[in-house]
Amino acid sequence: MELLCTCKVRRKGRPLLQKLLLIMRLTAILTIVFTLNLSANSFSQSVTIKGKRLALYDVFNSISHQTGYEFVYDERLLQQAAPVTLNMQSATVPQVLNACLNNRLFTYNIVDKTIVVSARPRVKDTPLASPNIAIQGKVTGPDGQPLVGVSIQVKGTSRGTVTNVQGAFTIDAKPGDVLIISFIGYAQQQVTVGNDANLAITLQTQDSQLNAVVVTALGVKRAEKSITYSTQQLNGLELTKAKDPNLINTLNGKVAGLTISSSASGVGGSAKVILRGSKSGLGSNQALYVIDGVPMNNSLTNQPTSIYGGTSSYDGGDPISNLNPEDIESINVLKGASAAALYGSQGANGVILVTTKSGKSGKPAVNVYSGFNISQAAYLPKFQNNYAQTKDSSTQSWGAKINNPVNRDNLDQFFQTGQIFTNAISLSGGSEKAQTYFSYANTSGRGIEPGNDIGRHNLDFKETGHFFDDKLTATADVNYMTQKIDNTPLSGFYFNPLTGLYLFPRSLDISQYKNNFEVADPGRNFLPVQNWPLNEDVQQNPWWIIHRNPNSLRRNRLLANASLKYQANSWLNIQARGSIDRINDLYEQKIYAGTQQVLASANGSYYYSNTTTTQQYGDVLANFSFPGKKISINGLAGASIRDVKIQGDVISSGKDGLYLPNIFTIQNVKTLDARISGTAQEKHSQWQSVFASANISYNDWVFLDLTARNDWASDLAFTPQLSYFYPSVGLNVILSQALHLPEAISFAKVRGSYAIVGNSPLAYQSNTPGAKLGSSGNIVVSTANPFNTLKPEKTKSLELGTEWRFIDNRLSVDVTYYKTNTTNQTMEIAAAWATLNNTVFINAGNIQNQGVEAIVRYDVFDKGKFRWNTALNFSTNENKIIELSPQVDRFTLSGASGANYASQFKVGGSFGDIYGTVLSRDAQGRILVKDGKPVKQGGDMVYLGNANTRWQLGWNNNLTFGNFTFSFLIDGKFGGKVMSLTQAMMDSYGVSKASGDARDAGGVKINGVDEAGNPVTTIDAANWYSVIGGREGVSGEYMYSATTVRLREAALGYFVPLKNTFVKSLKFSLTGRNLLYFSKKAPFDPEQTMSTANGLGGVDAFMLPATRSYGLTLNATF
Amino acid sequence: MKLINQLRGYKVWVAAALLAGSMNACTKNFESYNTDNTGVTGGQLAYDFNVLGLYLKSAEMSIYNFSGGGDPNSFQVQQNLNADCYSGYFMSATPFGSGLNNLNYSLVTGWNGEAYKVGYLNVISPLTKLRSTGIEKTFPAVWAVALITKVSAMSRVTDIYGPIPYSRVGESNTSIPFDSQQDVYKRFFLELDTAAGYLRQQISSGKSLPFNFAQFDVIYNGNFTQWLKYANSLRLRLATHINYADKALAKAEGEKALDPANGGLITANADNMTVKITGAFTNPLVFIATDWADTRINASLACYLNGYKDPRIGRYMDKSTDPSFPNQYIGIRIGSITSANAKDDYVKYSNLNVNDGATPSFSKQTPVQLMTAAEVYFLRAEAALNGWANAGGTQQAYEDGIAASFAQWNVSNPAYKDDNTSVPAPYVDPKNSANNAGSPSTITIKWNEAATPEQKLERIITQKWLAMFPEGQEAWTEFRRTGYPKLFPVVHNNSGGTISTELQIRRLPFPQNEYNTNPQAVQAAIQLLSTPADNGGTRLWWDQKPR
Repeated sequence: MELLCTCKVRRKGRPLLQKLLLIMRLTAILTIVFTLNLSANSFSQSVTIKGKRLALYDVFNSISHQTGYEFVYDERLLQQAAPVTLNMQSATVPQVLNACLNNRLFTYNIVDKTIVVSARPRVKDTPLASPNIAIQGKVTGPDGQPLVGVSIQVKGTSRGTVTNVQGAFTIDAKPGDVLIISFIGYAQQQVTVGNDANLAITLQTQDSQLNAVVVTALGVKRAEKSITYSTQQLNGLELTKAKDPNLINTLNGKVAGLTISSSASGVGGSAKVILRGSKSGLGSNQALYVIDGVPMNNSLTNQPTSIYGGTSSYDGGDPISNLNPEDIESINVLKGASAAALYGSQGANGVILVTTKSGKSGKPAVNVYSGFNISQAAYLPKFQNNYAQTKDSSTQSWGAKINNPVNRDNLDQFFQTGQIFTNAISLSGGSEKAQTYFSYANTSGRGIEPGNDIGRHNLDFKETGHFFDDKLTATADVNYMTQKIDNTPLSGFYFNPLTGLYLFPRSLDISQYKNNFEVADPGRNFLPVQNWPLNEDVQQNPWWIIHRNPNSLRRNRLLANASLKYQANSWLNIQARGSIDRINDLYEQKIYAGTQQVLASANGSYYYSNTTTTQQYGDVLANFSFPGKKISINGLAGASIRDVKIQGDVISSGKDGLYLPNIFTIQNVKTLDARISGTAQEKHSQWQSVFASANISYNDWVFLDLTARNDWASDLAFTPQLSYFYPSVGLNVILSQALHLPEAISFAKVRGSYAIVGNSPLAYQSNTPGAKLGSSGNIVVSTANPFNTLKPEKTKSLELGTEWRFIDNRLSVDVTYYKTNTTNQTMEIAAAWATLNNTVFINAGNIQNQGVEAIVRYDVFDKGKFRWNTALNFSTNENKIIELSPQVDRFTLSGASGANYASQFKVGGSFGDIYGTVLSRDAQGRILVKDGKPVKQGGDMVYLGNANTRWQLGWNNNLTFGNFTFSFLIDGKFGGKVMSLTQAMMDSYGVSKASGDARDAGGVKINGVDEAGNPVTTIDAANWYSVIGGREGVSGEYMYSATTVRLREAALGYFVPLKNTFVKSLKFSLTGRNLLYFSKKAPFDPEQTMSTANGLGGVDAFMLPATRSYGLTLNATF
Repeated sequence: MKLINQLRGYKVWVAAALLAGSMNACTKNFESYNTDNTGVTGGQLAYDFNVLGLYLKSAEMSIYNFSGGGDPNSFQVQQNLNADCYSGYFMSATPFGSGLNNLNYSLVTGWNGEAYKVGYLNVISPLTKLRSTGIEKTFPAVWAVALITKVSAMSRVTDIYGPIPYSRVGESNTSIPFDSQQDVYKRFFLELDTAAGYLRQQISSGKSLPFNFAQFDVIYNGNFTQWLKYANSLRLRLATHINYADKALAKAEGEKALDPANGGLITANADNMTVKITGAFTNPLVFIATDWADTRINASLACYLNGYKDPRIGRYMDKSTDPSFPNQYIGIRIGSITSANAKDDYVKYSNLNVNDGATPSFSKQTPVQLMTAAEVYFLRAEAALNGWANAGGTQQAYEDGIAASFAQWNVSNPAYKDDNTSVPAPYVDPKNSANNAGSPSTITIKWNEAATPEQKLERIITQKWLAMFPEGQEAWTEFRRTGYPKLFPVVHNNSGGTISTELQIRRLPFPQNEYNTNPQAVQAAIQLLSTPADNGGTRLWWDQKPR
């Protein structure tokens, strides 16, 4: 069975279970039918009931009130019952029960003061052909932990029992009987009794949302129905069924409200993960990752910042991409600030909770995964073949018409088929006292750009031990990862092989430069130098770049966690955790002699950076739970400390380059480029926090959540306020329990929450140094004043939602509306230079995000050989800048340098609005033409569009047919506009198909007007593109709709039927990612991004094309 | 039982409260955590008087900006892609901005704010920090050097834009008003008065500073006498600038500069105002010419030097390296590079003299030249023409100027100053005859006392222009003020009618950043212009010569 959702149940401490246990204790021999929802009510002996069309529920309540008897029943069964008309005066309890249950589907047992109502068996008890024997068994969860309170029932009878604290049970049954084992949050299981009187049963977590248990903030597990905010859970399978080298990309399209943009930096690149829209101008907008309750270091690594790109403009990768997807058990997405209130500042952008696998007691299990993936460019730019190079040595192709044009597929000579091999093994096992999980994974392969290789090893070792009668649980988890990425593609104009490849004159043969990308320079005693016929800073020989401007990114990472948990008594446990996450990144680029002279000196250049990011985290938590008859309270109080420090150094041989050519050592560096070299800024930040939360439930159908947290942030040192406090409140009503809803509605819930989340500024903003050291002992005066009146940023978040389930939970709908307002943002705005500041910090702004998320799931076929479940998720987000600052009307995310592109926001606009240049037009909208050329409008850049998706829709399907599984995901992102500078450059160079077609057609058709006022309908193609094309042309002409609809993933699996007992399961899958664009209007994939930081959104400057990939995988369990 | 539970509950809260209390205490390290490890504090700077010297040194290196070290992106847009080319000295072979850029009057918004930005953030800002140390009281002579540095830098800024914020710089964190160019000039003269006073005091005291000021002063190595001569020469230059706008003030200030009692002017090349290149810094112009190959010799300069058979030609420029016309001194005409051109088309035209000859004039360590003895002689020649006291004889000053320049460049041709036939050469572009142009002027070299005052002026300014190379900022100012030398106009004018091809560009527009951050002030500043139009065609206040 394919599970959509993985859930774990805590053995103790949650109200629902607590109540369950209570009842279990009351009823020694409980004979009930499969219990999903138990309700118990309790008082006298004679009963008086009169009324027409009474609901059974009310009858039971009335009996209970009058007699003190408690009822135990399954509400779902009760909902199936028709109302009854009763007229009974001082009757006995059995009389009343007989009257209302007679001839119905129900039967009842009275044990002490408890009345257990259960379904009347449809099948008659078979005659006792053989005598019952006492069957003993033990029920455990998938993690090997014993499950307490599991209901065991002999099928077709009313005999049943529950498991004790050890997970053990005893029941009378005979061989051939079928035991139905059911437990909240787990899939029901049926076991046929054989001759073995001892059964070991492992329950699998359940797909059903109804009683799912979700992991919430700080690793606390809660029944999903008690949650007052929106969450969405995915199991590990969703991450592994069609793998991507960066596992977070596999979430794309599956979670409403989650927008993932992957970096165009080849294999192993990072991803921008935004929940419910961007909120912060300077700070990070990325979701926080929390692994097993501990926030992961989420510091943004190096990202490109300008259209030009260049040596230091590489994608440094993100921490999440390093994880081995096979180690992940489930992912839960807490979308709003309410959900994340307990995580503090980092949680303001939503939280992605990752639960990793643990060892299981019992028989050791070995899982083996092996996959092979190939990838290809999903699209390529289109070229003209009819027009020659303008003239010799010209970089452009505006020359004469070629007489016998040949189709020159230069791209085919360059791009390769990407390949990824992934092999992973995991071992899990252990005793009841200690469990071990060990895994190793190896990923190796190459991207579609030659030279772009990846190699990664992941090692994970996790040990859990139980001491002092299982009161103390100790867990330690050590992860080690080592990764090497060669030639991570650099976007932008510099050191990017795609510029030379795409812009190459169409009449020349590029193959001669492929094989002979270098030639010996006799003047330098045959030093090999670049062979390229064009001299321009923005392009080089593509093969030269790959071989002679290589870069490499090496990462070593140690992530270690330890936790101790002590169950002090039945209502309190205390937990202490500590973790260290240390990432060392080594990046270097070797630029050989012979590289274009603007980019490097005559002897070559060398860039080296060594960065270590260390996060230390510790927390202490006290979890308590006070079960009550009607009101239960549970919650926690705790304190945490998090310390993040980035240390490193950068060595860049500046303009003087190297002493001797092509020796890439620090000794050979003539002078350091002081602007980028040296000891890096540490960015040391520490947060200390105390927090508490309480979850109060009334009768199990009203839940009230309260959280409070106070953070002390070192980034606020030197300001008047060192700390900030933020509360949240949530309320949730289970309508289906509170009201009598029609039978078709199995579950209904409304929820609402409000939270305020604070956020500290970036390090050093309140204490900018007066000066720094520049070149050769000189000082550089600071151009930003310290901001010591700074206030912490605040996000106020309101969320309303409702969940409905129909037809035995087969159809479910979950709709959420949210609105967040982020105020007091710390912004670094441009200053009037005569203030002697380049920028000033201000607290300002009100950025609003509001939107709707909806998830619809339907189990189209949920029984039998053919199963199909389908889920639609929809989300829309509207971002609006309501207020900025009285001082400035805009905030720039990435500047205009090098192109007519800027990403900025203004009051009334939205986050990431794209600004650029447009053509001059007259009052009638006609393009002004002067000297046969269109006229570019001067002055400041104007608004061109916003890159953000307006709404998105994902349609995920899982089908099973016997041993075959098939899944596919179609998703669409609608709205938004993006800019292609690639197209603008190709047009101005005359290599694009558009420029060729325009020449073939005798010019570009426009609605224009000349100086004399005469209409112009056609304009010479060269004149047209010389003005509008190019990196500083009319960028407004290169805006495209960002709408894309795609077949994002598809996987076909086959479970090999096995008789062998050694191999427990064997599955082969064929997978594919990004298989087909049903619609794509831009000349690139708008989902790709040059940078996963806040800037450079929605612009393509020679990004590597997105890929389409196919894979074959094997999963085996021994 | 319940009571016990409750008590235990209290314990938890008490523990939490204690924890919270203890956390407060832990924040004592926050200030050290939140201190940038790469910053330099005032305390660290105090030793060895660095706090007095390093701010000044940084400002000195920013007049012609190379203070940042590394790639000279700032200088390229501060001066090289505007004044250096508008002055007829340089031109770029690179078709920046798809061939539409400053060099054909399609003014690039992103470029034109740099000179302004550098003036405030790289010159005035460190000098303000210096002033806050109380230096005006402790070491007034050092403050005098700072003031002269400030006037040197900001006079270049106002000569680009016109009105600029000056009297109230740094007074507010939001908006700073602009001063009219006339007011800015008046303030320059006052600041030079203050500076000259402090310098004379220092010199006459005969005392030396208690620290080695020479190590910080990359202009005159702490020689206050040279600073005084430069201050007077600068005053003469600025007075000359305003001669058409405010004759009386020009004369008063000019005569103050010329009065030997005030300390004298630069008369020898040893006193030339140059900024030395130290440590890992490089001359930004040379870097742009060599490492980037982004600047080449302008056709105007090559035609004058060729036509005059000027021996300085080989000291100023390399011969062309294009195989189709090798070994020629040939420049590129401004405005001739369009989107149709590749960089390779023109990059092999004459470069700055970085290769040819046994010891090329320019290397990356060549000091940046901002004022020479030759220029001062030519200023005196014009002063004499104006009848200012103490200017000396016009012809004498003119010929001294030529001699000083020849000496500076280490060339000699005694017959040069007597050549009364050679005129600038016509321009022939071997790559594109559409760029060809006739000789720009009929002016010859030899002084002719009988010539009209206008001819005399042309002769003086033409020779001054030839002597000031490669300092394009002052050359462009003097071209705009006098109309000389006669430069080839742009081939393609993409200003959309705002800039006259014939009159050529008069200024740069105010920076876009001012419109964004200081909008009321910049609107008021536009009203201070000669015509309220913030474009390249609007004349500055001192640009009042009738034509």
